[in-house]
Amino acid sequence: MTEKKAFHLLQVLEPRRDAYGFALRPQHVQRYREYSNIYKEEEEERSDKWRVFLEQQSESGNLPSLEEEKKEKQPTEVSEQKSNTSPKSVGEGDDTSVEPTTDSSAEGNFEKEVESTKELKARKVQKWANIRPVLGAIENMMSFRVKKIKKMEDERQTLRDGQLPPVEETGPSGGTSEDDNEEEIIVDKVSNGSGKSSTEEVISTKEAPPKSFFSWKEELECLVRGGLPKDLRGELWQAFVGVRTRRMERYYQDLLALEGDSGGGELVDEPSGASKKWRKQIEKDIPRTFPGHPALDEHGRNSLRRLLLAYARHNPSVGYCQAMNFFAGLLLLLMPEENAFWTLVGIIEEYFEGYFTEEMIESQVDQLVFEELMRERFPKLVNHLDYLGVQVAWISGPWFLSIFINMIPWESVLRVWDVILFEGNRVMLFRTALALMELYGPAIVTTKDAGDAITLLQSLAGSTFDSSQLVLTACMGFLAVTEARLQELQEKHRPAVLEVIEERTRKGRVFKDSKGLASKLYSFKHDPEPLIEEKLHKAESEDTPVDADRSHSSNLEEFLAGDDSEVDSVPDLQEQVVWLKVELCTLLEEKRSAVLRAEELETALMELVKQDNRLQLSARVEQLEREVAELRQALADKREQEAQMIQVLMRVEQEQKLTEDARISAEHDLAAQKYAVHVLQEKYEKAMASLGQMEKRVVMAESMLEATLQYESGQNKALSSPRAAVARNQGSSQETPPKRLSILSRPFGLGWRDRNKGKPDEPGSGHSSPLPKETSGQEPEH
Amino acid sequence: MGCSSSLPDRNSGRLSGLNSENSGATDAKNLRVKLVLLGDSGVGKSCIVLRFVRGQFDPTSKVTIGASFLSQTIALQDSTTVKFEIWDTAGQERYAALAPLYYRGASVAVVVYDITSPESFQKAQYWVKELQKHGSPDMVMALVGNKADLLENREVSDQDGMEYAEKNRMFFIETSAKTADNINQLFEEIAKRLPRPASS
Ligand SMILES: Nc1nc2c(ncn2[C@@H]2O[C@H](COP(=O)(O)OP(=O)(O)O)[C@@H](O)[C@H]2O)c(=O)[nH]1
Ligand SMILES: [Mg+2]
Repeated sequence: MTEKKAFHLLQVLEPRRDAYGFALRPQHVQRYREYSNIYKEEEEERSDKWRVFLEQQSESGNLPSLEEEKKEKQPTEVSEQKSNTSPKSVGEGDDTSVEPTTDSSAEGNFEKEVESTKELKARKVQKWANIRPVLGAIENMMSFRVKKIKKMEDERQTLRDGQLPPVEETGPSGGTSEDDNEEEIIVDKVSNGSGKSSTEEVISTKEAPPKSFFSWKEELECLVRGGLPKDLRGELWQAFVGVRTRRMERYYQDLLALEGDSGGGELVDEPSGASKKWRKQIEKDIPRTFPGHPALDEHGRNSLRRLLLAYARHNPSVGYCQAMNFFAGLLLLLMPEENAFWTLVGIIEEYFEGYFTEEMIESQVDQLVFEELMRERFPKLVNHLDYLGVQVAWISGPWFLSIFINMIPWESVLRVWDVILFEGNRVMLFRTALALMELYGPAIVTTKDAGDAITLLQSLAGSTFDSSQLVLTACMGFLAVTEARLQELQEKHRPAVLEVIEERTRKGRVFKDSKGLASKLYSFKHDPEPLIEEKLHKAESEDTPVDADRSHSSNLEEFLAGDDSEVDSVPDLQEQVVWLKVELCTLLEEKRSAVLRAEELETALMELVKQDNRLQLSARVEQLEREVAELRQALADKREQEAQMIQVLMRVEQEQKLTEDARISAEHDLAAQKYAVHVLQEKYEKAMASLGQMEKRVVMAESMLEATLQYESGQNKALSSPRAAVARNQGSSQETPPKRLSILSRPFGLGWRDRNKGKPDEPGSGHSSPLPKETSGQEPEH
Repeated sequence: MGCSSSLPDRNSGRLSGLNSENSGATDAKNLRVKLVLLGDSGVGKSCIVLRFVRGQFDPTSKVTIGASFLSQTIALQDSTTVKFEIWDTAGQERYAALAPLYYRGASVAVVVYDITSPESFQKAQYWVKELQKHGSPDMVMALVGNKADLLENREVSDQDGMEYAEKNRMFFIETSAKTADNINQLFEEIAKRLPRPASS
């Protein structure tokens, strides 16, 4: 117990297992944690709804109310009161309220069961507990399905030759035994009232008037789709499967006793060989069933082993088939061992009839049916899968065979099981698979290879934590998928499966024809011909016990429907009929093989056409590819040319720039030169101006000179002997014109200095002699 | 098993067309192969796959129902990669009826037995015959004796395994999913034996 506590603590901190004790994949821990709150809320909600519903039931009907029920705990059949209480006490919900996060009622249930198991002697372990009376109405409503089948089973029991002698003795009549009157009360009433006749009668006598019955059923259906409360699930499942009606007193115990005997020695020879085989397989699989689940400790495993062995013994046509270990394991978590046994019986023999038998015919049929439904509903997705080379059945096969256990999260598994068990057929199995495809199809369509598609679908399905969405999508989205439609499709595809099996056995066996006909007859069983079948099977029953058994049961249906007594009385006619039937079958087979051959040819032709198309297409693709390559090449060439052009352009541009530069510098030069010219012109003008001034001055100087000369000559005339001076002056005056010329030409040579110097001298120049000044330039001599 | 007649034919027709694309995969450097594991229940098929893909050994693996899929890519020394698309099938005899669904179109089959169980060796031989009859003719086949770590309990000599494999032109190896012995070698050897698509 302390270990358990520690485990729970660990769970809270780092959940590795879900609320049911099942292992969580590490990648799902986070998502699970997110959803566990939603689950809790949903659980509370549905607990309330169910309580209200059941209370209404007990008020309206003659059923005991919840309060009454608490008081009247019924005695266990296997002596121990304690063992009986486990589902009930859990039912009152104290467990769940104490440890709502981690500990589930299922777990608690199992725990208690194990505890009580310890207290019991090993022989008394196989206990049975009735479900609470408040669920009786539901149980009764559901039991009509069972009754019919049970009746048939019973008859089969009496017909079958001695595989289970002790059980057969007590078999059908032992349905109600003396020591548990109370638990069988309702059934007793029913059988008394209706005299074990039709079920409709049972219901109408037992239940409220039909009108309210239907609304009641609808309400129930709605509740079931919303999920069963944890604490009621185990019992409701039993009610749905009709366990109480199926149950035969002491049957389970006898099976186990038998098992013990045959295990010890050679009491029963033929089946013990088979059961040895099953025992071995079961032994291998027990540690591989929910490994590490806290409830599957040593006691849990023993329980599982007993249950599976008992089942194998109970129904040799199924024996033990892998997947049943998981079903049984799950059921054991929810209910006592014997209850689990009868629930398993119901599931395997009614819901999944023909599924887990040696040939697994129905499971193969269902895959073909499912594929057809997929093509109908999701043509795009299926096309994509076809393109990737993925077959739908690769993925859906394991889904169907395991009824989603280990394929989707546990909460979702249980919700789907709720509906399946309630509805009593495989419709929900198909709908759920379709819903998963609908949910994840869009993602799958994006994948590019087979492996990715399968991996993705597997992992997406594995993370379908939104169980309500899944169930809703399944129930509401595929209303067209009904039991009738499924049956129709199953009929359509079954012959193909049988054909394959037939072929297989034909190859492997000497007496091929009889076997072939057997399954042929099976597939054409609408022709009532029980005896022929019987005979054919008798002929080859040694080497195919299972198949014989199978057809035996189908045979039974016809046996019940038709009347063979008449045939028996006319043996000759009978033989003729047999012969004719055989003939007919041969013809049918011939016809079918002809049809098949035609089909084969057609497919071959299609293949050829396809291949042809493919060749053409690939040629086309190649051509296109070549064209593309060419275009690419052209494009590349163009690019290169362009690059070259650009280079040229760039060069031109550079040159242009250079010339531009040159032009600019030339312009600059020009401007400079212009400027220089301008300056020169200015200089020239100035020079001209100064020349003008000079000339004026010269003119002035000349006039001054003349004036001076005139003055001098006037002086000379006035004064004496001025000859020498006159002569000198004459001489100089003669020379003056050239001097004047030279002076005029001088400015270019003597430049600025003279002119500037000349200016300040100007006032005085009139006084000084211009000659020495201009010729020598030596002013200091002045 | 019956992989002829109408129902599989319809499929195999479709598949064979695709299979050539499938096994040839994308190109000569990156191969993609479908591999199927067959053999008696409990010989360790699932453990071998888990060891190869996840590198783990879980002594309490789950029973395989129907089949389960895993994929793993390995790189070879010549720088090619091989992506294995592995179908691990259910071992129980009656599930053999479903096996063709998975081995059809597979280019590799690995037939596993348990060296401590002569019965499983018998079963392996049954599978080899079955594949020779119904598998694709150019299938690469390997015979694997698993649980080689349980030497003291050995009941099938490696000589027997080898001889049988040789006779049937199979590759033979003894492995242990528990100790990881020869697990990678198994897949590498298979990868080497794959027919390579001519590089174009
Ligand atoms: N000692 C040992 N045990 C192994 C080995 N491989 C598998 N096992 C055990 O064999 C059991 C069955 O293995 P599993 O892979 O489920 O078998 P499958 O049915 O072929 O898939 C497992 O529970 C393992 O404990 C191995 O190499 N050595
Ligand atoms: Mg496995």
